[in-house]
Amino acid sequence: MPTPFNAALEDLRTTRVWKSIFRRGPANSNRTRSIAVFGNLFLHWLPVKVREKSLRVRAAYYLGSLSFLLFIMLVVTGVLLMFYYHPAVPNAYRDMKDLQFVVSNGVFLRNMHRLGAHLMVLLVFWHMFHVFYRGGYKPPHEFNWVIGVLLLLVTLFLSYTGYLLPWDQLAFWAVTVGTNIISAMPVIGRKVRFVALGGNIVGENALLRFYVLHVVILPLLAFLFIGVHFWRVQKDGGLTVRPTRDEDGTNKD
Amino acid sequence: MPAEDMGKLSDKLRLTFAVSTVVCVLVLAISPVKDFRAEWKHYKRAYVKFAQGRSDTKRLLGDYTMEIDQIWLPTMNVTDRCMTCHQGIAQPSLADSSVPQPFRAHPSIPHNIREWGCTICHRGQGPATEVAEAHKTTLAWEQPLLPARFLQASCGSCHQADIKEAPQLARGRELLSYLNCQGCHRLNTVDRSRLGPDLSSVGYKVSREWIYKWLKEPRTVLDKDGNTTVNGYENGDESRMPKFRLKEEEIRALSGFLSVQKAKPIEVYKINPAVVSAWSKNPELLSQGELRFRQMMCTTCHPLAVTRAGETKLIGGNIGPELTKIGSKVNKAWLIAWLRDPKSYLPNTSMPQYRWSDEDLYKVSEYVTSKLSDSDLFSNVPQLGAPTEEEIQTGKRLFTDKGCSSCHVLNGAPTQKDFGPDLTALGRKNASELEFSKSKIERNLVSYIQAKLQDPVSVNPAARMPQYSWNQEDLDAVTTALLSQTGPPPTSALQHLVIPKKETAFQVVGAFAQVFERYKCYACHRFNGYGGTLAPDLSYEGSRAQKKWIAEFLKNPQTIRPALILRMPQFNMSDKDAQVAAEYLSLVLQKPDVDPESVDVRQFTPAMAAKGKQLYEVKYECQSCHTIGATGGYVGPNLNNAGNWLTPAWIEAWLRNPQALLPDTLEPRRNFTEEEIRALTAYLLTLRTGIKTQSVKSAGNLHSLAQGAGR
Repeated sequence: MPTPFNAALEDLRTTRVWKSIFRRGPANSNRTRSIAVFGNLFLHWLPVKVREKSLRVRAAYYLGSLSFLLFIMLVVTGVLLMFYYHPAVPNAYRDMKDLQFVVSNGVFLRNMHRLGAHLMVLLVFWHMFHVFYRGGYKPPHEFNWVIGVLLLLVTLFLSYTGYLLPWDQLAFWAVTVGTNIISAMPVIGRKVRFVALGGNIVGENALLRFYVLHVVILPLLAFLFIGVHFWRVQKDGGLTVRPTRDEDGTNKD
Repeated sequence: MPAEDMGKLSDKLRLTFAVSTVVCVLVLAISPVKDFRAEWKHYKRAYVKFAQGRSDTKRLLGDYTMEIDQIWLPTMNVTDRCMTCHQGIAQPSLADSSVPQPFRAHPSIPHNIREWGCTICHRGQGPATEVAEAHKTTLAWEQPLLPARFLQASCGSCHQADIKEAPQLARGRELLSYLNCQGCHRLNTVDRSRLGPDLSSVGYKVSREWIYKWLKEPRTVLDKDGNTTVNGYENGDESRMPKFRLKEEEIRALSGFLSVQKAKPIEVYKINPAVVSAWSKNPELLSQGELRFRQMMCTTCHPLAVTRAGETKLIGGNIGPELTKIGSKVNKAWLIAWLRDPKSYLPNTSMPQYRWSDEDLYKVSEYVTSKLSDSDLFSNVPQLGAPTEEEIQTGKRLFTDKGCSSCHVLNGAPTQKDFGPDLTALGRKNASELEFSKSKIERNLVSYIQAKLQDPVSVNPAARMPQYSWNQEDLDAVTTALLSQTGPPPTSALQHLVIPKKETAFQVVGAFAQVFERYKCYACHRFNGYGGTLAPDLSYEGSRAQKKWIAEFLKNPQTIRPALILRMPQFNMSDKDAQVAAEYLSLVLQKPDVDPESVDVRQFTPAMAAKGKQLYEVKYECQSCHTIGATGGYVGPNLNNAGNWLTPAWIEAWLRNPQALLPDTLEPRRNFTEEEIRALTAYLLTLRTGIKTQSVKSAGNLHSLAQGAGR
């Protein structure tokens, strides 16, 4: 039904500016939709075609998508928090106090980041169990399973490095205990601990190291592996849905 | 799904989206709403309302903004947002106590609030903008506001020397030191030099029964009905020896062990038999003994319980131990040896060495042993007899285990250090770092300290700390002093704020050193910051007093201030000692800016003196405080002998600005003209009573008595 709004939109789509940005026509056929997906940086991850079954909630409970969504949210709130945070010893805890007492919606921001991180760890684990019990690690998904395990580790390291940043007693002792566990490794334990802390105690060097890991190195690794993970999902033929049960008609989904 | 149907939504889905969108927006709105209704904004608005109800609205709201106010001092680690709510803190017109909090002005203090912030003194959480977070112990901030009555503790964190603005703190530190807390605990600003007496030869001094009683009830005087009359714990004159929680058999063992400590035999002195036979039958013996005892001013240092009008009170100084029942305590042979030469028994004693004639020694020792005694003292002490070997061994072990060796030296072994916990950072401790055991007290540092001081067992059943008993005032003072033990500053950048105690070393050299040590001048007098505070500071005595006068005074101290009870004792100093002391005092203890050459006495004429007398009596009415002849007040010193006593240069400097010479003096600064100063000096220099004749008259009698008998 052509409304004035739709007509105006159609007109807009014929302009040169629009075409120079989107470089394609409306995605109204399988072919144009394919072109749209292939040509778009973000949609490129997604399959051209999705089986309706795999869109159902119980197919994967959107656990991977939700984890990704939380990751994006953590990146956004994390960047905002970086505006208020100094990874230095007298400042770090004071910055927490400023977030609590003077930054507008500072508590909300910090809690979004903190609770989001907790939730993400939870969802990533759930996601892994789900994939495992569905047999998602079996060929042809074995490579993506390994990527998934790496992503789990990155998530846990992100969580652990972020835990030190408030520089309170909880943080200090959690990292003290954690890094002492590292030093129990035979032969190289103490060296590894020294490298992790940038010294022999949990001090300013450790705080800086953990900060750089938390805001630069680990997020970059996460982006890299998430990209590979999504790409592999598509290459391996989409989500693992239970084909055998589906075929013999016992599936009620 | 056919391609044409993609993007079409069912109504159910639309509804779900609509509801979830609304819920999402509402959830997201919580935080901005909370932000908008922040606690501090409420106080901001209340202040505006309060200011509008007053006549000086304009001034009160002069720099008002609806923002958080803070004092930010990065170098001092201070971010104090207290004035966000305490908005009238620097408004002089809001100083009245009728102004409701939190708007009242801060009382005037020596520090500028803008330069120091609030939390350096008051503690609490400076960055907080919520009432509970700022004042109380919360999950993420354990150090609550310091209760106002202990606020002087904060002065002590930086001012390690006492300041006159913090009398409670000074009292607390004095008590910590007086009670020898530093014997067991490490404490800042309290040095460990003066602890309990050396017990190496205590077996010669006192009996086992006396030790038993002392351990059971240190310093308690009982009347004949057995009621406690003078209790060191109650009248603020606390015994330095605290009451340990000892069991009967422990007391027996310790008293047994100590009674056999006889490391260095005393030198028994035999008083001339002629003196003894002349005086022993004399009914005047004891009253003469008492007279000499009083003339020697023993009570300047030693307290004595005196009963007047049915009320028993301790009278006298607190430098030496109480003497009320000393006769029942010490062995007579020991007493005589001690009086003749205290240093040979206790090398570090503050007791001066008097010069005794045999007659004085006999009279005073007889008086002390028979009058200052109590036959009932040992009425509730069991017959102990000689200690068994087992008791001695147990006592030896207990002496260390109970911490006795923290304060008392035994056989040359140094006192043990750090028997109790280190308290240098006690004032910064959080409640979670303290042991409360099963006590029902509030879980905070202040109540912990007070409970521990009052009853150590209540917070720690295994406490070895002895039992003290306090009046509320002293308890609060000691609590303040302990709270001031905040250790080193949290960051080295704050180190410069700490004002350390001045090192007070006063080295005496030459012939005077012996006199100084013998008569223990420093027990009462202060010399360049070293020594006691009981008697006048003698740092500038050489500029103040004339040499001849000093020598005469030392031989026969006539008090300059007759209203004082505690006076300079009469040591029976030899001529030589007095000369050496006078020489040293007048040569060495000079104030550099009082030039003795600046005043030429020859310029003074009788006319000037007459004018000075006029000024003294009429214009300035000095007699309201000073006595000349028989008239005048007792606030200032007696000026009868000012001409012999004071140096002309000192008089002039003093009249110009008394506070420059003695900062705490009561003497008002009168802004005399130079001419008036010269006239007054001329007048004062004419005041001479002829100290020579007077001293010969009064002291001469005593001397003739003493020496006559000695011959």
